Amino acid sequence: MADTTARSRVARLVAGRSVYFDDEGFFWDPDDWSEEAALELARERGMDGLDEVQWRVIRFMRGWYNHHGRAPMNKDLKAGTELTLLELERLFPDGIKLGARVLAGLPNPKTCLD
Amino acid sequence: MIYLDNAATTFPKAPGTLERALERYRELGVSPGRGNHDLAMRASDAVDEVRTKVAAFFGAPDPDRVAFGANATDALNTAILGLVHPGDHVVATRLEHNSVLRPLHHLAEAGVITWDAAPFDERGVVTADAVEALLRPSTRLVVMTHASNVIGTVQPVREVAAVCAARGIPLVVDAAQSAGQVPIDMAAMGISALAFTGHKSLYGPSGIGGLVVMPDLEIATSRFGGTGMDSASLVHTQSYPLRLEAGTLNLLGVLGLGEGLDFVSAEGVAVIHEREAALLTRLRDGLGALDGVTLYLADGELTDRVAVLACSVAGVHPQDVGAILDGDYDIAVRVGVHCAPLVHRELRTIDRGAVRFSLGAFTTEAEVDAAIDAMRAIAEPC
Repeated sequence: MADTTARSRVARLVAGRSVYFDDEGFFWDPDDWSEEAALELARERGMDGLDEVQWRVIRFMRGWYNHHGRAPMNKDLKAGTELTLLELERLFPDGIKLGARVLAGLPNPKTCLD
Repeated sequence: MIYLDNAATTFPKAPGTLERALERYRELGVSPGRGNHDLAMRASDAVDEVRTKVAAFFGAPDPDRVAFGANATDALNTAILGLVHPGDHVVATRLEHNSVLRPLHHLAEAGVITWDAAPFDERGVVTADAVEALLRPSTRLVVMTHASNVIGTVQPVREVAAVCAARGIPLVVDAAQSAGQVPIDMAAMGISALAFTGHKSLYGPSGIGGLVVMPDLEIATSRFGGTGMDSASLVHTQSYPLRLEAGTLNLLGVLGLGEGLDFVSAEGVAVIHEREAALLTRLRDGLGALDGVTLYLADGELTDRVAVLACSVAGVHPQDVGAILDGDYDIAVRVGVHCAPLVHRELRTIDRGAVRFSLGAFTTEAEVDAAIDAMRAIAEPC
């Protein structure tokens, strides 16, 4: 039986830079993230830019990642954003993982959750 | 916290079991079977005592054919690697965990074997006919799970065993999810070898499991090293159980497994199963009534199941469902593809996975109801 599940990456132009993304749309390298890139990805998702609350969430997630070297755990995310995770889910059209986390440029958690 | 991830590992363990295991380890925590001092002999006796419990628990006649390892994956590797030869064909099922799929895939990629996976039907069952249809003259092994870790269905092992026995093919059963939840009698069911883990429904600690082998099956050694016997020889000890064990045993794990087995035996597997089946039905009925929640192969009576239920919520990524349950409701579940990719391919959930609830001996009705309420909030339209 063939294994068809190997992860792949593709490069594309975002905010004037060539950036690698994985097959779920996550930044391959979190250091490639920029506010301009986040805005462009948000618009691609049909969002009319990012509002103040969404930026607060994104900045908290990136700050946590840069300080701790990993994404915030669920209860850290709740405490740090002062939002429930259900509110966070609904704050981004694609939810927490494929919305907030992608726009914040955090790594795909796929490998540790499957 | 509401812990509904018992199929990954049961938590908490039964009161007193870890404490008693640790106390015995403090008393006799030396290398069992090595050296001739009394403490080594006592440690060896303690290990043999648990081998006897394991053999009795699974209806196997010979405690010496209980070989300890790290977990079910370890035991399955021991069985598979010790039974196949170049050119052999192996049959498994599409319900298997990667503990079976990956060793078989590895051997196939290396050009050692060929293999096929029998499909499951609309009930989530791999019938004996489905296995039989894949058998070839070169088939030397059938390996199958006793209970799916994704959909919970208990498989007709006895019927598959009869098909295998008629052709002289050994049947290796992965009991990682079923041991402690479903009664198992290897002799009566015709199982040739059974892989188990201690940390799930046997309520032991992690890091201990094993392979139980019936007397008419020989499994070749695939790992080699010290056994405490025949030490002057460069040939690995060939008598059981040391034939399938190499290096110092996880004595604390063995003692913890023994305590867990005592707990399960005292409660009674049938009693635990009946209680969990009732809770599973309550959970299924509650989640099934929610708009936007899809259950996977959970129709009908749930008596032939282990206490596992997979589902998804429309419009919410399963990993987000898990995060919300954890962060907002303090409910722990397992999301993803549960190391069982072929099941999720069949369910068409391979891309995102699913949310798995799994119950344990200490799960209560109130916890199940809280999980249903939480899922109602998550599934509610914005």
